[in-house]
Amino acid sequence: MAAPNSAQRKACWDARDQLWQCLDDNNDKIQSCQKFQGDFEANCPAQWVKYFTKRRDFLKYKDKMQREGFTPAEGPQVNS
Amino acid sequence: MFSNALTENKRKHEKYEIFYFIFSLMLFTFSFFSYCTFFSLFFHFLSYSPYPICASREPSAMLRVRCTLRGGGGVLLCLHRTAQYRYPSGPERVLTRSLSRTPDSSRVALKLQTRLGVTLLVGVGLLGAWWWVEQEKQQRRQRQRVEQLRTVALGQGTFSLLDHTGHRRTKQDFLGRWVLLYFGFTHCPDICPDELDKLSTVVSALDRDPALPRLQPLFITVDPERDDVAALARYVRDFHPRLVGLTGTPEEVRHAGRDFRVYASAGPKDEDGDYMVDHSVLLYLVSPDGLFLDYYNRTKSPEQIADSIRNHIRNHRNKSRPV
Repeated sequence: MAAPNSAQRKACWDARDQLWQCLDDNNDKIQSCQKFQGDFEANCPAQWVKYFTKRRDFLKYKDKMQREGFTPAEGPQVNS
Repeated sequence: MFSNALTENKRKHEKYEIFYFIFSLMLFTFSFFSYCTFFSLFFHFLSYSPYPICASREPSAMLRVRCTLRGGGGVLLCLHRTAQYRYPSGPERVLTRSLSRTPDSSRVALKLQTRLGVTLLVGVGLLGAWWWVEQEKQQRRQRQRVEQLRTVALGQGTFSLLDHTGHRRTKQDFLGRWVLLYFGFTHCPDICPDELDKLSTVVSALDRDPALPRLQPLFITVDPERDDVAALARYVRDFHPRLVGLTGTPEEVRHAGRDFRVYASAGPKDEDGDYMVDHSVLLYLVSPDGLFLDYYNRTKSPEQIADSIRNHIRNHRNKSRPV
């Protein structure tokens, strides 16, 4: 299976952006965005779908960390 | 122990940062007050002449305070009112003109001129000194970074790979050129295209300067099983015209990657046989001597990278110039 060329990459990224926009508008409710989800899966290779789904989770997690802060885990104390 | 050296270095750096910040703050304060002094003195001088501009409508001392406090805004307002005022005509004019030429006001004018000249000179001198110190700081930082990277000694070995036209290329073929190198794979969803776009932008930006040597962008695959010569040829077409894609047998590719300590790990295959290759994302700069000089991660913008490369090129030229 050949790698996607520049046009195919762009089509995939646009579909992903539309899906993510829909999810942002609908508070991550996947049921409201079935059409975009279908578009996204049609335009992108399966591996990319999995990758971008995980990426979105990571980006939301990072955003949450930056907004709400976190308590660092208790680790071994390094004597400096 | 290693982290101790790092934090100490950082603390020294922070001390320098504080010093430069205070220096810049003093410079700014000085410039601001000399600016206000100049304009308040200017209107103080004008208050001697009977032209009824804003200075004569209120005591000059109050005006001085007002201008000093309000700085640019108040000054502009005074200037505006001055421009709007119309000269008196006839005998009044002759009288006022002679009145304005009193020896008192000319002495004030001279004193003002010398004060103004001194202020400007000192201001310009301070600015020049600050700029020079900034340049020195940048140079020192760059030199320290190069030294640190030299001890890491990446890219010392050779590689022998096939380019996207099917010709065999070795590291020797690229000696004498500045090389900007990226490891990736063609099935990459977004990171590799983004980084290669950034690479193309940097090379194009440096191409626009005729005094600089032409950079050689290279793309080495970390996925030799799928990225053969044809796949690379299709891929590099979308980026800078001088971009050369390199591939080879898994052993050759691994050897090249090991030279730059590139991490690459293929993920599990799905039912289409598709998989992702997890890999380190860096742009490597190699000098014409074949030495690894610097690296740029995803947070660096094309402008920052281009500036850094210009700096390296300048330092490289200065080093090789005969003394």
